[in-house]
Amino acid sequence: MTGSAPTEGAPPPPPRALVALSVLSGAVALAAGIAGGLLRSGWALPVAPGAPIAHHGGLMVCGFLGTLIGVERSVALGLRWPWLAPLLSGIGGLMILGDLGGDWALRLILAGSVVLLAVTLAILLRQVALFTAVPVLGAVCLVAGNAHWTAGRAIPELVHAWMAFLLLTITGERLELGRLRRPPTSASRALGLLSALYVGAVLAIPWMPGPAVALAGALQIGLALWLWRYDVARVTVRTSGLARYVAVCLLLGFLWLAASGALLVAIGPVEYGLGYDATLHAFFLGFVFSMIFGHAPIIFPAIFRVPITYHPAFYVPFLVMHASLLARLGGDLVGSASWRSWGAAGNAAAILGFPAVLVVTGLREARRQASEG
Amino acid sequence: MDLGLIYSIEETPAGLRVEMTMTSPGCPLASYLAGEARRAVVAVLPEVADVEVVLVWDPPWSPARMSEAARARLGGSSADDGPGWFSV
Repeated sequence: MTGSAPTEGAPPPPPRALVALSVLSGAVALAAGIAGGLLRSGWALPVAPGAPIAHHGGLMVCGFLGTLIGVERSVALGLRWPWLAPLLSGIGGLMILGDLGGDWALRLILAGSVVLLAVTLAILLRQVALFTAVPVLGAVCLVAGNAHWTAGRAIPELVHAWMAFLLLTITGERLELGRLRRPPTSASRALGLLSALYVGAVLAIPWMPGPAVALAGALQIGLALWLWRYDVARVTVRTSGLARYVAVCLLLGFLWLAASGALLVAIGPVEYGLGYDATLHAFFLGFVFSMIFGHAPIIFPAIFRVPITYHPAFYVPFLVMHASLLARLGGDLVGSASWRSWGAAGNAAAILGFPAVLVVTGLREARRQASEG
Repeated sequence: MDLGLIYSIEETPAGLRVEMTMTSPGCPLASYLAGEARRAVVAVLPEVADVEVVLVWDPPWSPARMSEAARARLGGSSADDGPGWFSV
């Protein structure tokens, strides 16, 4: 063992009020985003359709995922100022829903993404490395996407920047853990090159959509192949319990990432429609939510200070998600609105069922421990 | 211990001081794992009055700190572990 100068004291637990406010606003954005998705896919719901339908994507990506990632990063840094990122995006999401503040809602979300960029830079400064640099590129894409959104550009023009934010944030996290397998330096260089080219392609999409979308799709496939080849999930999938569950989520997510890239290459830049639905939901539900389903049992205890015990029931929402996503994409590709609607309903059930499974299995475990102790 | 996250354990007048790190400065589990490390020490040495866990970032963690057993379990190549953008 070697001695070293401490740069931090004992890490403080996350402040409860900031966690509660951020998580609650993110949860409201998620619920409204799901409602908007169901309304768009043809379901009649007893909610006012305006904001959730018009801003389904923004609520899901910025109001929910942006806030969630901001919370995760704030907990990691253990400082107060990073909490501005999830608070601004969370409050912006609530203002969109309440139709409050006009353009200020989007401006707050944009400001939150600028803070998140500063947070990723602060992490980069703590340790300059590829795995801390890739999320900075992701945050740059989020700022770019939100700047376009605030400026009034259409969602199909900027959604790729949101996708890049999520893909590069997740890639950075997986690269960090992938170091446990010690990938060769050439593989790290390849990932750096793929990431840089991908960001360039994504940022060029509003000005040259045809070639830039195809290039972004091809690079998305490249990133999926890299993750499949070098992620530690390839090893841990051969274990058992929680480690295996997480690995299964990750590996299936990488397949969806490649599928979404293939759809981008095949379909190219699309306006709203079935091809758009298929491409985006292969990415956001197949890839991103697989990552959430896989990471949540590990990250939630850090945020909520509540232990989560693995249970095989974790696979139920996971299976519902992927089966219903297959149905949805099948409906999209053959032009069946009915399959698409039922698929979307299954997607919503999986997203809502996942936290329910965590809570129910957690309570059962707590009762079991109480009866034993 | 297998991952090499524990840098030092020293006796202090108050009890024990543990210096540990994370695989990344962006790891949200830092506070949680520091608490788990403290609980693990207290479970083994309940007679120690005070266990202080301090998170350090210098030197940064690298895969070279992993035990042979952990390396064998996770597989992978024998990459260069030195500092640099593309070294792991």
